[in-house]
Amino acid sequence: MNTGMTEHPVRLVVKDDYRRNRLTVFFRLLLAIPHLIWLFLWTILALLVAIVNWFATLILGRPPRWIHRLLCAYVRYSVHLGAYLWLVANPYPGFAGEAGTYPIDVELPEEPQVQVRWKTLLRLILVIPAYSIAGVLSGSFSIPGAALLFPRRRGGSKGYQAGGGPGGGFLGFICAILGWFASLVTGRMPKGFRDAGAYGIGYGAQVTAYAFLLTDVYPSSDPLAMLETVEPPPAHPVRVVGDAHDLRRSRLTVFFRLPLAIPHYVWMSLWGYVVFVVAVINWFATLILGRPPRWCHRFISRYVRYQFHVLAFISIAANPFPGFTGRPGSYPLDLELPIEPQRQKRAKTLFRIFLVIPAFFVGFAVEFALFSAAFFTWFVALARGSAPWGLRNLMAYALRYLAQTNAYLFLLTDAYPHASPLEGVDAPAE
Amino acid sequence: MNLRRSALLLVLAAGWGVAAWLLWRSSLPAYRLPHLSESALFPAAVLAAARHYSSVDRLFWLGATLTQLAVLGVYSRFGVRWMSESAAGPVGTGMLLGMIGFALVWAAELPFAVLSVWWRRHNGLDGSYAQATVGNWLLLGSQFVALCIALAVAMNLARVRRIGDRWWLPAAPVFVGITILLAFVSPWLLGGTRFDAPYVAKLERTERVHVPVRVMSGFAEPNAFATGLGPSRRVFLWEPIVEAPFTPREDRFVLAHELGHLAHNHIWKDIGWYALFAFPLAYLLALVARRRGGMGVPEAVPLVILAYVVLQLAFLPLRNVVSRHMEAEADWSALRATHDPAAGRALFRLFAVETKDDPSPPWWDYVFLENHPTLLQRIEMTQYWAANR
Repeated sequence: MNTGMTEHPVRLVVKDDYRRNRLTVFFRLLLAIPHLIWLFLWTILALLVAIVNWFATLILGRPPRWIHRLLCAYVRYSVHLGAYLWLVANPYPGFAGEAGTYPIDVELPEEPQVQVRWKTLLRLILVIPAYSIAGVLSGSFSIPGAALLFPRRRGGSKGYQAGGGPGGGFLGFICAILGWFASLVTGRMPKGFRDAGAYGIGYGAQVTAYAFLLTDVYPSSDPLAMLETVEPPPAHPVRVVGDAHDLRRSRLTVFFRLPLAIPHYVWMSLWGYVVFVVAVINWFATLILGRPPRWCHRFISRYVRYQFHVLAFISIAANPFPGFTGRPGSYPLDLELPIEPQRQKRAKTLFRIFLVIPAFFVGFAVEFALFSAAFFTWFVALARGSAPWGLRNLMAYALRYLAQTNAYLFLLTDAYPHASPLEGVDAPAE
Repeated sequence: MNLRRSALLLVLAAGWGVAAWLLWRSSLPAYRLPHLSESALFPAAVLAAARHYSSVDRLFWLGATLTQLAVLGVYSRFGVRWMSESAAGPVGTGMLLGMIGFALVWAAELPFAVLSVWWRRHNGLDGSYAQATVGNWLLLGSQFVALCIALAVAMNLARVRRIGDRWWLPAAPVFVGITILLAFVSPWLLGGTRFDAPYVAKLERTERVHVPVRVMSGFAEPNAFATGLGPSRRVFLWEPIVEAPFTPREDRFVLAHELGHLAHNHIWKDIGWYALFAFPLAYLLALVARRRGGMGVPEAVPLVILAYVVLQLAFLPLRNVVSRHMEAEADWSALRATHDPAAGRALFRLFAVETKDDPSPPWWDYVFLENHPTLLQRIEMTQYWAANR
C-alpha cells in the first residue's frame, strides 16, 4: 500500500537543545520587530516574484534558477523567524535565510525541479486544503508574512488574528504562549511544545514551497516524517496502538459518517453524566487513598477509550463502526491505558482541575486540527476509498493528545499530556 | 398441542378484537354524510389546481415508495457485506447495518424529495431545497437514534438464551413504554410561543380541557396538532394558520378540533392502537428474522428492515382508517364546541387553496395516504351537523 511515506523534498532539520535565554524570551516579540518589518518587505517581493515564477514555470516547465533560489531563501528565512517567534529555537536569526545557519532549518531542493504543468496551472486551488491545515497548525507561517500583508478586520477594529492563517492557527501560537511562561521559569522550552511548534513550522514550509512552485510534491502532514530528526519523548502511559497502515475507508460509511455517529453521541452524553459523578467520587477517593479505587479506574478507562473510538470514527482516522462499550482491543485504532490504578501524588490530585488547564488550551488547538484534518479526509476518502497517510497520522496525534488530557483529568494517570506529535518510546534498559 | 395452540390463538385474537372495539368507540353518532358536489363547493380553478398538484405529488410518493422497496430488497440480499465495516460486536454491527439500510433509502429517495420541492415551488407553495437535501441528511441522525434503540432492545433480548426467538413478547411492551415516554416528554421539547386569543378560555371550558396553546414558527404550511399525556398535554398551532388568510373564526374551529383530540383521549387511544399493532408486527418480524439465524445476529437485520417497511406499508390502510375515525370525532367535537359549521366549511375550502389538497382523491390515495377525512367529507360533516343540530 502506498502510504505516501516517500521522503518529501522539503525537510525540517531540528538541532535545537531546548535551552532558552530568559531575557530574550521575555522580550522575544519586541526583539523580533526588525525581522517582522524585514519579513513584510521581503514578502511583497516574494509574492511579486512568485507571480512571475508561475508564468515562467507554466511556459518552461520548471522555475528559473534565480527565482528558485530567491524563494528558497525566503522560505528558509521565514522558518528561522517562525522558529524564533514561536520559541522553537533560541538564537536570534540572520536576515538572509542562509542554509545551515539556524537550529531549526529546512532543506529545500537545491535546483529547480521539472513540474507537471496542470499542477502548476491549478496550484492556487490545489494548495487550499494544505494551506488551511497549515493555518491551524502554524498560523501565519503557513504563508509567511501573509498576515502582515493582509491584516484582517475583526469586530470592526483592524488587527492581526492570532496565528494569522486561515482557520485561526492555534497550535503553534498556543504552544508558544505556554512555552513562553515555561521558558521564563525553567530556562528551557518543554519538549512537547517545541516539537509541536517545529512540526507546524515544518508543515508551513512545505505548504509555502508548494505554493511558490519550489516543489510539486504535495505537503505531508505526517508528524513522524516531519520530525524524523527529532528524538521521541519518553513513553507515556496513555498511548495509541493499532495498525497505522490501515488506510482503507468505506465510501458509504464515510459519506454518512456524521449521522451514523449520532447514536454514539447520544450514548456518550448519557454515559458522560454518570462518568462525571464517578469522577467526583474518584477524586475524593484518590485524595484519601493515594490511588483511585479499582472500579472507578476501570469504569472511567472504558469511557475514555470509548470516547477515543468514537472520535476516531467521526474524524475518519479509523474505518469501522465502533462498539458502545470501550472494550480494549475492540477497535483497530485503540487506546492503551494503565490497566491498574496507579499511585498518585496527593498535591497533584488536589489541584488536578487547575493543572489541566494548559493541556486544555493545547487540546483545543489540537481538536481544531483534528476536525480540520477530518474535513479534508472526508473528501479524499470519498474520492479514493482511503485516508491520506499524513492526515491520518495528524489525527492519530490529535486523538492521542486529547485522550491523554482526559486520562489526566480523570486521574487515570498523573503523567501530564505530552504535546509532542511523536509517540513516546520506552527508555532503553540500562 | 395444536388444539391448545389454536385455542390460545383464538383467545388472543378475541382479546385483540375486544381491545380494538373498545378503542374504536367514540362520541360520533351513527351518521350518513350527505353527498355534496365538489364543483359546487370549490371554484373550478381551485379544484383544477389542487387536482393537478396532487396527481403529480402522488406519483412522487409512489416513486419514492417503490424505490424504497427496491433498495431495501437489494439491501436485504447484499447488506451483510457491510458487516466488515464494524468493530462493534453483534448488536452494534446490527445497528450499523440498520443505519446503512436507511441511509441508502435516503439516498435513493433524494431525487424524489428534490423533485417534490421543485413541484411545490412550481405550484406556488413553499419548499426548501436545502432542507430537502442537507437538512434531511442531518435529520437522518434522529432516525438513526430511534432505529438503534429499537435494534438494541430487540437484538439484546433475542441474545438472551432463555428468550431467544420469543424476543418479540418482551420487546413489544418495551416499545410501547418508549412510545409513552416520548409522547409524555416531547411536548416540553417543542417550544413555541403562547397563543392568546379571546376565545381560548371559553373553548377550553366547553371542551373541558385546560392545556397550554402554543404557536410554532418556521413552518410554511397551515397546520396544528395536539400532543402530550397528562401534565404535558399541549396544542401546537403552526404559524401560517394563525395568519391571514385564516380568520379568527377559522382558527377557533382549528383549536376546537385539536382540543377535541385531547378531550377524547386520542393520544392515549393512539398509543393503544400502537400497542395492538406492536405485538403482531414484532411477531412477524421475529418470524422473518428466523430465516437469517434469528434477531440476535446482525445478518438478520437487512431482511428485518425490509420486512418492517413492507409490514408498515401493509398496515398503513388500517392505521389510516383508525386515524380518519379519530379525526372525524375531533371535527365533530369542534362543531359541538363552536356551533359554527360555516367556519369549518370556510376553513376546509381554504385548505384546498392553501395546501392544494385534492378534496376528493382517488381510492388508492384515500386508502394509503389520507389519514384525515377528505376535505369534501369534512365539509359534508359540517353540513350534516348543521342539518341535525
